[in-house]
Amino acid sequence: MTKKKRENISLLLFVAPAFSLYFIFKLYPAFSGIYYAMTSWNGLSRTKQFIGLGNFIEIYGDKHFWNAMLFTSKYVIVMLIAANVLALGLAVAIESRRKGKGIFRTLFCMPNMISMIIGGYMWNFIFTKVLYYLTDHWGMTFLDKSWIGNPRYAFIAIIIVSCWGIVGYLMIIYMAALQGVPAYLMEAASLDGASSWQNFWKVIFPMIRHSLTICIFWTLNSMFQVFDVIYSLTGGGPGRATQSVAINIYEEAFTGNIRYGYATAKSMVLFVIVFLITVVQLRLMKRRELEL
Amino acid sequence: MKAMKKLISAAVVMCLLLSLAACGGKKEEPANTGAKDVTATQAPAKEDGKDSQSSAEPKEAELNIMMSFPQYMDQWETYVQQFKDKMLAEENIKLTVNLEMPSSDQYESVLQARLTGDDAPDLYTIHSNNLKTYNEAGYLTDLSGEVLAGKIFENVKNTVSIDGKLMAVPIESTAWGVLYNKDIFTECGLQVPNTLDELKNVCKVLKDKGYTPFLLAYQEQWVPQLMTALTIGGKVSGEAKDWLERMYADNASYAEIIDIFDVIDVIMQYGTDRAMEEGSEAGSADFANGKAAMYVQGTWASNTIMTANPDFNMGVFALPVNNNQACTMVNLSTSTTLAVYPNSKNLDIALKFANYVLDDKDSSALFQSCSFNPIATVHNYETSSWVKEAYEYVEAGRAYQDLVLPNSVTDEQGKLLQEYYVGSVTREDIIKALDDKFKEANRLSKQN
Repeated sequence: MTKKKRENISLLLFVAPAFSLYFIFKLYPAFSGIYYAMTSWNGLSRTKQFIGLGNFIEIYGDKHFWNAMLFTSKYVIVMLIAANVLALGLAVAIESRRKGKGIFRTLFCMPNMISMIIGGYMWNFIFTKVLYYLTDHWGMTFLDKSWIGNPRYAFIAIIIVSCWGIVGYLMIIYMAALQGVPAYLMEAASLDGASSWQNFWKVIFPMIRHSLTICIFWTLNSMFQVFDVIYSLTGGGPGRATQSVAINIYEEAFTGNIRYGYATAKSMVLFVIVFLITVVQLRLMKRRELEL
Repeated sequence: MKAMKKLISAAVVMCLLLSLAACGGKKEEPANTGAKDVTATQAPAKEDGKDSQSSAEPKEAELNIMMSFPQYMDQWETYVQQFKDKMLAEENIKLTVNLEMPSSDQYESVLQARLTGDDAPDLYTIHSNNLKTYNEAGYLTDLSGEVLAGKIFENVKNTVSIDGKLMAVPIESTAWGVLYNKDIFTECGLQVPNTLDELKNVCKVLKDKGYTPFLLAYQEQWVPQLMTALTIGGKVSGEAKDWLERMYADNASYAEIIDIFDVIDVIMQYGTDRAMEEGSEAGSADFANGKAAMYVQGTWASNTIMTANPDFNMGVFALPVNNNQACTMVNLSTSTTLAVYPNSKNLDIALKFANYVLDDKDSSALFQSCSFNPIATVHNYETSSWVKEAYEYVEAGRAYQDLVLPNSVTDEQGKLLQEYYVGSVTREDIIKALDDKFKEANRLSKQN
């Protein structure tokens, strides 16, 4: 046995425990989902009727699903920009501080440790009670908006809470990248007379491109599946005005007509869309990364 | 090469072991929160001295019960304990009961997983609206021949029967309409309205006296949905009697009952502000503190209301739909029922438990401690004043049996009423959307 083979095998063995769990609880359900997507199973009956592509044809004409898709895309685009700009800004601001780095890092990362369901209910309380208290008692009338009932303000509320939840996580990634930028490059740049603005865009930013790739990949991926924030904040309401695709799928599977098969088909469609977008994104961004 | 084969097989074995451990681990620990084993260590009945029966070795048996009452865990545990003592004393059976109470939001999915996975509990609670689906899938036992069947009130029995056969034991049954603040009504010298015009008048008087007539809490979709439940129920039972039947035959439209929006408009027009920002619990608390005089909400909210204000003087009246008093009725509905799994290993004991739920001697105490309403002749306890008020309507024949609409239509009504409130849909949009949804549900139920 060659050394190479030996190494491979030990690698496989080390991966085996995690991989078997991954296989049983992720891969197997994902692939069996392809089969369920072609049935009209209601999650209860013992027989599953195979209906081929019937579900997918129905999705094509499903107004609510595509409205949810549109809403989710809007949400993803806004989040992509807002969350990453905020996170990078915070990371740079904290990194440039001499004292208290640890405290700020912990503070901003804290919301990420709270489950977003709980975060959502907390903010629900803020939007429906605290803000109105400020309006009624302190005269801050600009806060007197229908934060849950008006689709436009509900969207803003959702963006605020989502940013609050994930900015800390992205910030940590950016901070790690910032710490990896060699000090001599920045020193050399400033000796050559670069302003700190130029220093950031010409030296630091290109050096942290790889973390930008990761962060955008992660935000794209997870924001397309947004569920908990919206579920706990607006419940997708009023009506379906703030319904994301994940909530639409959940409702199809667990409420109303209880259509497991159809809901699985919808999640297949979501998967394909997210997959295509992330592949394109990774291709584009990988090309622009720099290495020393 | 040999060594490599060995290694690979070792890896495979490890994978298998791990997967077994993963599956096994799930089964051993009670997968559901709140599951508790109530094993009897000492049966008090035995200490009475008469242990003629205990001379024979008691038979052992096991019963699995799953219920959606985590809030009444203690009461049911006590009741199960009583049942076990009874079994030991009367039948010489040493019973182990696994009583599981998953939290209500996961209850359905846990139950469905257990049923389809051939790990069904012997007894389980389901919502009466789901009885039909479960019956078609073969998960219910016909209880018509049991002793309990004779004890249940006739109008309650109808809510849990399919084709005249009793398919489950009703547990939670409610008569409900609109809650109102009796103190405010007395102060304004108002009577309970029986027609739409009277309701409009009540609203006007209340407004003139500086009170907000209706409390609106529309954040959760099921709360606005209560308005359609009451109005459609009243309208259909009073005037359009075959409407629902024709809806199920794709042969009717919501346009026929469009006047239900007249009263919905009145409620919304005379309601509190910021309804979309008000949850149901917050709404109950605000109602208890006098923020508004009326609240379209079931008597199940009484717990929250009375906690928020113990001195609250609450009443119930039937919501008028139009000026035809025949349509002004309260809703009589059964929510939670207890079903018996037909392929249970201990079917006879499971049936005994089902009968014991309506036991002549012990049932009253259980129902009273859970503050359930009386549903059978064996229940002879005093109920709260508002429950009595609602049941006065039932006794006067002014109650209708809750309409069973497809779940998806019920959900859609809640969504559309939210949108109606914020002004993004009109009456006509709602009618079209609901007609479509009903047709879709009909199509799907045929497919399965």
